[in-house]
Amino acid sequence: MGALRRAWIGLTGQFAWRLRPAHMLRSFSRTEQGSALDMFAAVESTDRRDIRKKYFRHALDEWRHAGIFRERAREVAGPDAVESGREEAGMLVEHGIVGGRTLFERLGERDFLAFVFVAEADAVEQFGVYARHGLLDAGTEAALERILKDELFHVSYSKHELDRLSEAEGAAAARGAVRRIRWSRFKEGYLRLSRDIGHGMSSLWLLALYGLVLPPFRLFARLEAPGWQAPPTEARSAADALMSEA
Amino acid sequence: MPQVTLGVSALYHDAAAALMIDGQVIAAAQEERFSRLKHDPSLPVRAAQWCLDEAGLSAQDIDQLIFYEKPLRKFERILSTSIATFPRSALSFPRQMKAWLGDKLWTRNRLVEAFGVRPERVGFSDHHRSHAASAFYSGPFERAAVLVADGVGEWATTSLWRGGPAGLEPLGEVRWPHSLGLLYSAMTAFLGFAVNEGEYKVMGMAAWGTPRYREALDRVGRLLPDGGFALDLDHFSHHWHPTRAYTDRLVALLGPPRPPGAPFALLDPSASAAARAESQRHADLAASVQSWLEDALLHVIRHAHQRSGEANLCLAGGVALNAVANHRLALEGPFAQLFVQPAAGDAGGALGAAQWASFGVAGRPWSPSRFRPDLGPSLDEGRVADLVADLGFPCEALPHEDALLDRAAQDLLSGQVLGWVQGRAELGPRALGHRSILADPRGPDTALRVNTRVKLREPFRPFAPSIAEEQAALVQLPPAAAALGPYMTVACPASDRLREAAPAVVHVNGSTRPQLVSAADDPRYHGLLRRMGEATGLSALLNTSFNLKGEPLVGSATDALATLARCELDAVYIGPLRVGRPPARVLGG
Repeated sequence: MGALRRAWIGLTGQFAWRLRPAHMLRSFSRTEQGSALDMFAAVESTDRRDIRKKYFRHALDEWRHAGIFRERAREVAGPDAVESGREEAGMLVEHGIVGGRTLFERLGERDFLAFVFVAEADAVEQFGVYARHGLLDAGTEAALERILKDELFHVSYSKHELDRLSEAEGAAAARGAVRRIRWSRFKEGYLRLSRDIGHGMSSLWLLALYGLVLPPFRLFARLEAPGWQAPPTEARSAADALMSEA
Repeated sequence: MPQVTLGVSALYHDAAAALMIDGQVIAAAQEERFSRLKHDPSLPVRAAQWCLDEAGLSAQDIDQLIFYEKPLRKFERILSTSIATFPRSALSFPRQMKAWLGDKLWTRNRLVEAFGVRPERVGFSDHHRSHAASAFYSGPFERAAVLVADGVGEWATTSLWRGGPAGLEPLGEVRWPHSLGLLYSAMTAFLGFAVNEGEYKVMGMAAWGTPRYREALDRVGRLLPDGGFALDLDHFSHHWHPTRAYTDRLVALLGPPRPPGAPFALLDPSASAAARAESQRHADLAASVQSWLEDALLHVIRHAHQRSGEANLCLAGGVALNAVANHRLALEGPFAQLFVQPAAGDAGGALGAAQWASFGVAGRPWSPSRFRPDLGPSLDEGRVADLVADLGFPCEALPHEDALLDRAAQDLLSGQVLGWVQGRAELGPRALGHRSILADPRGPDTALRVNTRVKLREPFRPFAPSIAEEQAALVQLPPAAAALGPYMTVACPASDRLREAAPAVVHVNGSTRPQLVSAADDPRYHGLLRRMGEATGLSALLNTSFNLKGEPLVGSATDALATLARCELDAVYIGPLRVGRPPARVLGG
């Protein structure tokens, strides 16, 4: 599984780093920024006062990494490059509060630690593959080296804390949490891919609909005239109007 | 049984929740303060939960949940615009339809699911009515004209109302795609800033320029004899393009747009002449659109005065946060008094939706009052102390009010820049002494230091002062803007004394955007200002929002400490605690 993953990272990296290096760096920046949010939220939520400082330091690292990646993206892309709104929106979906709860609240402390461990270990592996395949320019490689040192600390402290938290139930509990997280990350990756395919397909369908169905209506449609107009007449009572979506 | 109403704004930007019980505003908060995503548009589940917790209620106790706009009417506008702009809308149509068919069209179901209320308890105000209600029912007038101006709601981009004992009566509206807010936003994008975020930057940059592009802008935005306005839509694409707000014709008219992040060379003595000229051109463009907006708003409110027959005016919508324009409206407009509450943008829509349901529909008695924006969460001092200890920040407890204020004043007088987290958080984008960064405004380098080393933002952006009410003469607030004093919603000329003594809070054109603080409204903050006055003769502080560039105002204690750790703030006062800079081992790296 690990070899397959590394091969996939190497293969996709070949294209991604050659064709869209700034996009790659910006997406790393957003991921780090999102991780910082998740870690700060964990500082607020955890009941284990002895671990707060590690979460806090981890969050600060992630925030700093986001800045390094963002700066590097700017250097690679040049001053005129504009980040698309869609890329920005991507971060909103995956971090912060989802369904009213933070990642820590959704997972609980043990699975949260397992998540941190798995995500950080995956990142270290991913950066390693890029370096081994020689995909990075010198500036980006130097930036990654600065970050990698912190990432290794994140891997080791999260594993240590996960083991410590699972001490009472034995090593199997920690291994179980890591397995659950690996599976859920695989499932999320699959769902993300499916969603992207679905988005692409639905865009095509809607575009076809647009081209085929809308043109006749265009003959009758007009934009609103400028200037003051009378407010829409309201035949309903205020109470009835309040209950309506239209 | 008390009547519990929850107002909600969401799904575009600045999601918020506001809770009213029997016509009293109990709590209001923006989701971004919890999620830490600036302008977070997602349903404000956390904010609503906090509001309910604050009142000791649960979702089952909500009698009415009022969403701030009508989704089906908005969808109608989007669909008909797509048809009317065929085939140019080809890129935006699939994107819009996916967002609506997959999500926004089912707003009632989403609200029911997210907030746990019964479907028959969910209601919908109109976007501009919510804004109008938030201005009128929060304001100091028995009767007033109410003008709402923003990007767009359902159809209206500018609307006029008459507010009085009988409620809010709609008098007229200007409809999409002709929009004051969207013209300003298009120019915000043209100047390389993010729409719905960078409008303040344009306003700040405008002071560095002269409006030499006014004639060109008069061609793309015309004032009409009926008191309205018209955009020349050949220059704008907000109505058909998914991401770009202006067309190549605007570029042909005004020259190349400013690249995002381009340095502002006017403040850099080492910059080349060419770079300075280019920055001057950008500043001139900003000055031109600012001047256009001010004239357009004056034109519109003259019509509003005539049409409504009212003496006073409440303003709401994102355009009402243009503090520079508000000064001209107060100075040159026909109204005796203006009122703009500080959450005039969409976050205030949550408040207005709840107020409309309570006063406008349920007919609860209402009387004018002084609006207090500190409606958000406060921090639990015990938890803060634990957190500070756990994270290893140096901390000093100052339980006595005098000791706390003396120490803070001493820090400020020694040139320190402080975070100030006291009481309940403010609703809206303005930090009004509850989630603020404070500094002594007398230092000549203070503004540059706070901009570049504390706030980590553009060096050209100005700072505003908080001033003790008894020294209101430090600023030349027009009589018609008297009601705006506490809220930083108007920029006005600084007095000669303020210009000389406190350069950090006076913009390059001699203007300033004051908050006048009274002892009755905010005794602790006023006490700090008074101490500054006793020491320097100037009861004033530089007051800017407690956040870093691109982040919302701090919400939790962790946010405050994280901000302290990531910039060159010297200390943070959280309630009675003075938290100093953390040692290097906490910061890592």
